[in-house]
Amino acid sequence: MSVAGPTPHSTETETFWHPTPEELAGRPVVIEVNHLDWSFGPRQVLFDVTMQVHEGEIMVIMGGSGSGKTTLLRHLVGLMPPVPGRIKLLGKDLGGLKSLERLEVRRKIGVAFQFGALFSSMNVADNVKLPLRELAHLDEKTMDIMARLKLEVVNLSGFGHLMPAELSGGMVKRASIARAIVMDPKLIFLDEPSSGLDPVVSSALDDLILRLREAMGISVVVVTHDVESAFKIGDRITVLDRGRVLACERPEQIRVNTNERVQNLINRRSEHVEVDPEEYLRRLAGD
Amino acid sequence: MAAVLKIFEAIGRRTARGFDEWGFAASLLGESVMWMFVGRFYKQPVRITHTFAEMMRFGIAALPIAILLSATIGLMLAIQSLYSLGLFGAQNFAYIGIALSVTREFSPLIMGILIAGRSGSAIAARLATMTINQEIDALQVMGINPVRFLVAPMLIALVVMLPCLAMLANLVSIAAAALYVCADLDKSLGSYLYDTLQILKSEDVLHGIGKASFFGLLIGLIGVMNGAGVSGGAEGVGRVTTRSVVQAITAIVISDMIIGYMSTH
Repeated sequence: MSVAGPTPHSTETETFWHPTPEELAGRPVVIEVNHLDWSFGPRQVLFDVTMQVHEGEIMVIMGGSGSGKTTLLRHLVGLMPPVPGRIKLLGKDLGGLKSLERLEVRRKIGVAFQFGALFSSMNVADNVKLPLRELAHLDEKTMDIMARLKLEVVNLSGFGHLMPAELSGGMVKRASIARAIVMDPKLIFLDEPSSGLDPVVSSALDDLILRLREAMGISVVVVTHDVESAFKIGDRITVLDRGRVLACERPEQIRVNTNERVQNLINRRSEHVEVDPEEYLRRLAGD
Repeated sequence: MAAVLKIFEAIGRRTARGFDEWGFAASLLGESVMWMFVGRFYKQPVRITHTFAEMMRFGIAALPIAILLSATIGLMLAIQSLYSLGLFGAQNFAYIGIALSVTREFSPLIMGILIAGRSGSAIAARLATMTINQEIDALQVMGINPVRFLVAPMLIALVVMLPCLAMLANLVSIAAAALYVCADLDKSLGSYLYDTLQILKSEDVLHGIGKASFFGLLIGLIGVMNGAGVSGGAEGVGRVTTRSVVQAITAIVISDMIIGYMSTH
């Protein structure tokens, strides 16, 4: 299914535009995953995962618990042992890089973790300034200004002096996003941005992600199991199920996808599992 | 038979894990040394401010308890020396045993054990909490090397501050012992200290200080090794903290014995 033109996306206050498939196809690829398999010991969690993300695209990786989406994210940001030839980030094969070269690539990306991962010993402003202080070598005044700007972008101006423990869940997520964008990265990764938030805060965070893409032109990879959020922000959605990519399509195509498991996921239907009573009893008895 | 095999299997697993952990500690040490010397060239220097902050935390903040322990050890040595030498009527030579055992043995050992309990546990707990909260992951994805940012300042601080504490402990212990011995034997403080300085050689003091520095390195590496290897949430933090203290004290005592033997033979 193809989509003819740009798709306006409306919220109560703002309208956001999603790029057309044609627009995206013409843009450089910033993430390329080729036939990635991964196992934790005997348990295989990723099976032949292949996907691409284009510059300026919001790609949502969606799946239920245990579908392998966090493992895939950890591969994409280079937190898993590199597999040569499988993942290219900003044109660089992560598996072929030396550790110092990997550090250079990481400086061009931003990551907001599920629980924020703010440093509990620093206040919000110092958390946001940390990458600048450690990597950019700017004077304190410039860092202050840049941190304030980013906090403003995520609607946290005036909260820089607070410690992470004093923030609400939504504020922690926004502070984490401010830290992720402070170096003006080309690519940001957001792990479960809406988890643990009420629908209003979650929706505001979705708007923030869309606004960031428009303002900064960055590519965004969002890992989530929140279907509503995925359809709202995603230019394309990759559906992962038990480590396999079931679909990688635009939201409107995902809605009409005929795969039963995709439909189960987006319609929040639990999977019907046939249980063999004999087998179940044998398992309980440890035979 | 199966039970015996299980025992061998458990021994094998623990041995392999031990090698794995010490290999990790060695790589941490190597990486820390590398960042100290080449970090500046990669625009990732080991921050002096971080190092001073750790020195404050591990060294200066421990001064009150270090002074109290050192004074107590000095008094305890004086009491025991006078008692044991008194059996032979040789109380006047107590200063020899006190001076040598304080500088060569007690100061580095007691300061090592104190810092292992106080700071080794704090290092393990801090790193474990940071690992669980994904703060270490956050550093990595920001392009900030965690060894350079967290580990190297801690190791430098411990390697520098433990000898300083040991030196302070030398002074305090000898002073406390001198006060007791002089009061007990009705001897002048000046003559006691003169005798002590006559018997002490610079290598005795350097032996103790060198050992203290090595103990600092052990405490740091064991704390980091345990903290980074945490698993299992809050319970895991408690487990690695305890483990870190036990391992650090064991390593200090055993290495002290080995160094003591090697330096006297």
